[in-house]
Amino acid sequence: MNWTLLTPELTLLLAAALFLVTACLKPDPRRDFQLALTMAAFTVAAGVACTTMSGDLFNHVYRVDLFSQVFKTLLAIGFFLVIALCDDFRGVAPNHHGEGYFLLAVCTLSMMMLASAVHLLAIVLALELSSYSLYILVFLRRDNRWGMVAGLRYFLVGASASAIMLFGLALIYGVTGALHIDMLIQRLPAMMGHPMAVTGLLLTLAGFFFKLAVFPFHFWAPEAYQGAPNQVAAFIAAVSKVAAVAILLRMISMAQGNSDLLARGLIAMAVVSMTVGNLAAIAQRDFKRLMAFSSVAHAGYLLLGMLCMTPAGYAAAMFYGTAVLIMKYTCFMVMTRVADDGRNLQIDELAGLHRRSPLLALALMMALFSLAGIPPTIGFAGKLMIFVAAMQKGYLVLVLIAMANVVISLYYYLLVLKAAYLDEPTQPPPVINLTIPARLVAVAMIALIVGFGFYPTALLDLVQAAVLRLP
Amino acid sequence: MAYQLADFPFLTTLLLCCVAGLLAILCIPARHVRAIKIVSAVFSGLTLVISIYLFMAYDQQAGGFQFVEQVAWIPALGIAYFNGVDGLALPMLLLTGIVFFTAVLTCWELELRVKEFFALIFLLVTGVFGLFMSLDLFFIFVWFDVSLFPMYLLIAIWGSTRKEYGAMKLTLYLLAGSALILPAIVYLVVHSGAMTFDLLALMEGTRFTPAQQRVAFFMLYIGFGILAGVFPFHTWSPVGHVAAPTAVSMIHAGVLMKIGAFGILRVGMFLCPEGWQYWAPLMAVLATCGIVYGVFVGLSQTDLKYVIGYSSVSHMGIVGLGLSTMTIDGLNGAVFQMFAHGIMTALFFSSVGYIYDRTHTKAITELGGLSRIMPRAASFFIIAALTGIGVPCLASFWGELAVFMSCVRVYPVAGVAAIFALAVGALFMLRVVQKTCYGPPLEKFSGLKDITAALAVPRVILVSVIVLFGLFPGLLFDMIHTATLHLIGLR
Repeated sequence: MNWTLLTPELTLLLAAALFLVTACLKPDPRRDFQLALTMAAFTVAAGVACTTMSGDLFNHVYRVDLFSQVFKTLLAIGFFLVIALCDDFRGVAPNHHGEGYFLLAVCTLSMMMLASAVHLLAIVLALELSSYSLYILVFLRRDNRWGMVAGLRYFLVGASASAIMLFGLALIYGVTGALHIDMLIQRLPAMMGHPMAVTGLLLTLAGFFFKLAVFPFHFWAPEAYQGAPNQVAAFIAAVSKVAAVAILLRMISMAQGNSDLLARGLIAMAVVSMTVGNLAAIAQRDFKRLMAFSSVAHAGYLLLGMLCMTPAGYAAAMFYGTAVLIMKYTCFMVMTRVADDGRNLQIDELAGLHRRSPLLALALMMALFSLAGIPPTIGFAGKLMIFVAAMQKGYLVLVLIAMANVVISLYYYLLVLKAAYLDEPTQPPPVINLTIPARLVAVAMIALIVGFGFYPTALLDLVQAAVLRLP
Repeated sequence: MAYQLADFPFLTTLLLCCVAGLLAILCIPARHVRAIKIVSAVFSGLTLVISIYLFMAYDQQAGGFQFVEQVAWIPALGIAYFNGVDGLALPMLLLTGIVFFTAVLTCWELELRVKEFFALIFLLVTGVFGLFMSLDLFFIFVWFDVSLFPMYLLIAIWGSTRKEYGAMKLTLYLLAGSALILPAIVYLVVHSGAMTFDLLALMEGTRFTPAQQRVAFFMLYIGFGILAGVFPFHTWSPVGHVAAPTAVSMIHAGVLMKIGAFGILRVGMFLCPEGWQYWAPLMAVLATCGIVYGVFVGLSQTDLKYVIGYSSVSHMGIVGLGLSTMTIDGLNGAVFQMFAHGIMTALFFSSVGYIYDRTHTKAITELGGLSRIMPRAASFFIIAALTGIGVPCLASFWGELAVFMSCVRVYPVAGVAAIFALAVGALFMLRVVQKTCYGPPLEKFSGLKDITAALAVPRVILVSVIVLFGLFPGLLFDMIHTATLHLIGLR
């Protein structure tokens, strides 16, 4: 067995083990942070180094190919970025920092496994592992008045989604008699006319829809975001979505595009997700709740790419997943820096941001425009690809609905922007002093958003090559 | 269509001038207000010089697209960085250069958050220049949005009169327009079967079915039409113009609204001639409604900026009417009117802006006798008003003449109704001029200073352009003709 294929996973495993040790030592936030950052940097390096590897492991249960490796690299980068936010990990008590890093590492590890798993049982295992680490992470909040409610609700919705998914898996197994994705790919398409197969697949997808916060599995999102420490919320909003996109692409591509029933189910969910997410976001005053509902809406756009069931659609969804990682992370980065004592940020509190920190205000503006899909940003490039893919399947009305949603979303993004650029605070809060690394991250995020918006070719070629690994 | 590659990338240089200006402004510390203004004036002056050069250097005998630059951009989606200008784009580039330069000079007195203001203006104008020169649908859309989104901040921060409401309304309306344009573009690209965003390749290489053309043209017409102030989607325009600060009103009414009409022309009419034919009667009806409505609603306004805002709606209606005739004369007139209205309305807003800065009122009833107190400022206002009315020897006259001549032939009822409405509008405009500029000078304004020589420069430039093209309309008509000839030949 070729262990080098597992370098990113093994690096994370090592990191997790180290955090487990430091969690038992005397708490020292500085040491923990530096260790975490170093290990995260190693993980990114490992992810990049292994991008082009391929092979099968553990009796073909675990597949390493370009598709999985690109996702792993993205997850590693996301993990690194979230850790980079933890230099000021004040939402969590100092003696819990070790556990926090441990759980983040385990969660990222399980998401990487999710990207590679090609056997349904392995998928379930990886999914549960990542969910359980997130449940605990939400509870870690120092002020756990919010954390308790949020964590509990997150857990209950998540557990129900898992149960539904297991039932769906049982149905699929009943119809096809297979658990390995390669077998399913051979048997499932022929059965897609069978209601049990479609029901099974849709119910199976429920578990992943929960991760992506697609309607009707989105109810946990606002509370969980609000209740979780800011860094954890950033992790859920940005990084866990990437993993959800990976596994959904694997599952949906199994049907190989010849199922109208499945497509119709997904269309309904996509449309309702976008609309519900955007309409609910308008009423939000809390930054994290707003981001949660905007995640629901973005889940709808992502689903729009996937439900095309064409390579172009998959590539678009993968590209947009990357875009979501970058845009959402940037928003949460700004929020974490502004609410530097780890509190929940109200949108009104952004008032005067352009004076307190022009760089953060600019980063927020670019991220919001990108979320709203205004060119030249990565969010626009992603939406364009999704729309091209959907139009190729003849979904003109769907594209129009999505664009109408974009206009609705623009309204509340503009309200946030207005707070940051126009509103003057009643008493001028202090200037936000960013450390040099924090500045660099902010500049890098702006560069990524605009750079991939103007010139997406490099990323586009990569995702197009990656989705060729799907059936 | 034949096109000539550029020996030197003038068009990219033009764009880079804007980008360089933007970066230079960002690099200057915010407290060096004067340096920022000088840098802005220099770079905007450069764009003006280049656009004048392009206008002069265009070979009218050869026609077609010239100064073409083409670089593959996103090969996987068939997107290229593809620029070129023809007889339609050049007048628009020239207009943008003139209005941009004069707008920068007009806000010489600005003191609030100067750095951000000029940075946003440069960003906006980059989008405008880009859109006029782009021949790739992807870039056309990108530039369209780049030119729109700075508007929100420009109006909401530096505006007046219900600025946040005006800014939000304007942004949402215009982006609702882009929500139709993007699907239309993607629809055309996907249905061409060629997977290319290249406008010329789509025009030559594919033949869309009439049904496809109707769907796409309708979406493009409404989408771009919102920006062009097409009735009944014009309501953002007066509100936005009133709320915007002077320089932004100038650029917005002068150049941005032209983007809408230009987009209909460039994308809609180039790619969907049959869709154009199908919807032309609707366009004529809406344009006539816009003209009549703009005039009569303008009648009841008491705010000077609202008066200009509604006159913009009716003047853009004339452009729409010209486009709907589908004749060479009508198109020539429409494009000429786009140019003339841009210059005129810039002059209008800049003179009203000066009056408002001094008197702190835009209410017609509170003004009077300005020609005694500030004769130079008043005379700029009067010239703008006369141009708006369509007095011969001033630029607008020729555009309106050409449009109405062809319109009366094609749509007699619409043409007559529009002419009648404009006559009423002229009477009214003269009343406004009389109330504000003539009559006894008011006591409360007696201490106000007239426009200084430095501040008069941008207005003088605008007036001379109006007179120049009023006396020699052939300069512009010949240029436009090279493009419209080909476009009508397409049908």
